[in-house]
Amino acid sequence: MEILAVENLSFTYPNCEEKALDGISFSVEKGEFITLCGATGCGKSTLLRLLKREIAPLGEVSGRITIKGRAQETLGTAESARLVGFVMQDPERQLVTDKVWHELAFGLENLGTPQAEIRRRVAETSEYFGISGWFDRDVAELSGGQKQLMNLAAVMAMQPELLILDEPTAQLDPIAAADFISTLKKLNRELGQTIIIAEHRLEDVIPACDRMMVMQSGRLPLCAGPESAAARISEIDGLSEYMPAAVRLFGAVREAGDGRCPLTVREGAEFLAKNFRADITSLPEEKYAAPESAALEFREVWFRYGKNLPDVLRGTSFSVGEGEIFCLLGSNGSGKSTALGNAAGLLRPYSGTIKLFGRRIDAWKWQELYKNNLALLPQDVQTVFLKNTVREELAECGGEERLPQVVREMLGRRKGLYGTHPYDLSGGEQQLVALAKVLSSSPRLLLLDEPTKGIDARAKGELAALLGELRRGGMTVLIVTHDVEFAARVADRCAMFFRGEVISGEPPRTFFDKNNFYTTAVNRMTRGLYSGVVTVEQAAELCRLNGRRSASDDSDTQ
Amino acid sequence: MRTFENLNPIAAAVYFAAVIGAVMFGMDPVMSALSLVGAVAMFAAVSQGRSRPWFHLTLAGVFLAGTALNPLLNHRGTTVLFVLNNNPVTLEALFHGAANALMIVSVMYWFGGMSRIMTSDKLLYIFGSALPKLSLILSMALRYIPMFARQTRAVNSAQKAMGLYRDDGFVDGVRSRIRVFSVMVMWALENGITTADSMEARGYGAARRSFFSIYRFTARDALVTALSLVLAALALLGQALCEPVISIYPWLSALPAAQWPPLIAVSYAAYAVLAALPVTIWIGDELRWRYLQSKI
Repeated sequence: MEILAVENLSFTYPNCEEKALDGISFSVEKGEFITLCGATGCGKSTLLRLLKREIAPLGEVSGRITIKGRAQETLGTAESARLVGFVMQDPERQLVTDKVWHELAFGLENLGTPQAEIRRRVAETSEYFGISGWFDRDVAELSGGQKQLMNLAAVMAMQPELLILDEPTAQLDPIAAADFISTLKKLNRELGQTIIIAEHRLEDVIPACDRMMVMQSGRLPLCAGPESAAARISEIDGLSEYMPAAVRLFGAVREAGDGRCPLTVREGAEFLAKNFRADITSLPEEKYAAPESAALEFREVWFRYGKNLPDVLRGTSFSVGEGEIFCLLGSNGSGKSTALGNAAGLLRPYSGTIKLFGRRIDAWKWQELYKNNLALLPQDVQTVFLKNTVREELAECGGEERLPQVVREMLGRRKGLYGTHPYDLSGGEQQLVALAKVLSSSPRLLLLDEPTKGIDARAKGELAALLGELRRGGMTVLIVTHDVEFAARVADRCAMFFRGEVISGEPPRTFFDKNNFYTTAVNRMTRGLYSGVVTVEQAAELCRLNGRRSASDDSDTQ
Repeated sequence: MRTFENLNPIAAAVYFAAVIGAVMFGMDPVMSALSLVGAVAMFAAVSQGRSRPWFHLTLAGVFLAGTALNPLLNHRGTTVLFVLNNNPVTLEALFHGAANALMIVSVMYWFGGMSRIMTSDKLLYIFGSALPKLSLILSMALRYIPMFARQTRAVNSAQKAMGLYRDDGFVDGVRSRIRVFSVMVMWALENGITTADSMEARGYGAARRSFFSIYRFTARDALVTALSLVLAALALLGQALCEPVISIYPWLSALPAAQWPPLIAVSYAAYAVLAALPVTIWIGDELRWRYLQSKI
């Protein structure tokens, strides 16, 4: 049965020349799981919002949207609100009430559902989604992952026929994101829920979906099953970088006749083992010597937020050498951000010493510390902005002349943004402007808290390049993150943060190769075949060095 | 266990209104004393072992002040204790002050205990039963205000770490605060737009809203409600129809218990039961648990 049909849909925002959507047509059958992907600004959100009448953007629309065989505009208000469920990106902002149970009941209350009926639906929904344990809590106490799961449950309690999700995991850590996606899979498999999801993080979604729709500048050039779509993705400019590691590796080493494209780590490992020799098992080791002098040094630092609260930092000791990029990896709530707050002098430990460029941090004067020495980019980059346009933001911190060359160039390519309100920028653009603002004090040590949160693959690539360039200019960078792929790409040294302690501190190739679970997808894919491989580029390089297996290799092994 | 807390908020509210209302309208020293005993027992039970010395000390202060102040301003009565600044201080006025202070202190203990039991969501439920719209607005505000405060703190520390916010001088501090406040207004509006979208997407305004709550009104709630109202009515009826057993002016005297009108005895008995209701429920449940456990 056809749930949704879109025919020749075009859309233009007011005061815009260009069409945001241009002649989009597709249809969705009941029970389908569809992934919508594309670069930021390609029109994904516009398309999804047009499908949900209540929050459709204002502008000039042409074409037809049909839901369950009826034109969208002929549906009644309550019916339309119920038929299509919509989950947004920000877990926090789409909440309405202060209690979990009230949030679950909110939609049903709006539809005027009788009390007894609400009671039953709320009960069964919260059981299905595993929310019952925190049913009567304040929403403020929940983690981001729990909030997003509750948002999904609140929408599902209304029993929508079509569920639309607009980058629901962009703000979540990898574990919460994987949980969220597996809940979606379960909904799709067990209830036959029809799902359309727009995502940046495709590692988990693509293997689960029935169809991939790829958008590019308002058009829909590719719409096919995940394997064939992934194999053909390189035809579309610059979209390969959004794909899962297995797809990118396949794209880098494929030859005619390689057959189907691997999507998961397991399929990727099978593909490598079947097609490539393993005579050379690792790339030449690059010796990395940590710099002699430390930019930042933690020695036995203990911290807690209040007298009667538990310790968050428990004898944390590590040091970041001058001029290196150091990544502190750990899950949410492990105390990474607290460590960063201590390093920035915003929080004071009750025991232990923190030294900045050889001098105790409390011996620094305020002005010396935050001018020319240390800068912190917080997790929520919006907290950095105080003005109404990007131009004013940049002027506030002394103008662009004070920024490093590479940042000026990147801003220069986006002159169009200057008149925009910082809140209206995309995640990656906000990140860039905030970083520029933070860098204007020309710090020697830059502290970044979860810099890849909410930004897409391309923005991550640009950020990695930017950090490399800053490091070449002599800057020291300390990053706390749970993004292992990003750490593998940029770090000189990585360390694990666990229960308030810092464990090891090694170059990424050694660090991730020793880890079994907490490592990059490519590393897991090449395990047993090659060693010390953490990025797609390294894996592709090794594949090229080793060459293809021939038929005689196969007979040797048999 | 802890079943008094788990009563339906409306039943609990009726109980508190009855027990507090009766002692305030009764204006009777015996009822005040009964009220104080019941209130302190309940307060101790909801505090769960945490001693609250400041609360007790403050109320002791209120009692002493109330007792001492009345004879200084009020010179009725015949038993002069001593003369202060040419004004007689009488035993009757002192007793009158003590009786009033006792009533006030007992009411404050009731409120102290009530604030532990009637949490924000229970109050919301009571409002919501009468005015569903108001309850939604309050619920949104309860989420919003702490969130606003959290974000303000985050902006402050972000600005501080950029060297743009300083609070070491008074003028600088105020200027920084103003800058942050203006951006917070923007942030709140931005946030509000997303929340409004989310409400609309979930059908807000699509139909006449119904009202859901996690509390149910059970037979036990009905019993407590009815009992509260009947006992309070009995207590006040006795006070209204009979002469008070303790007369203060012109001289302090009390009827011997044997000569009390029956209605007054009923009134006191009713109020004693009312004041002891929460503690009775707790003790009853505690005993029931003991009994159940001994059988396991």
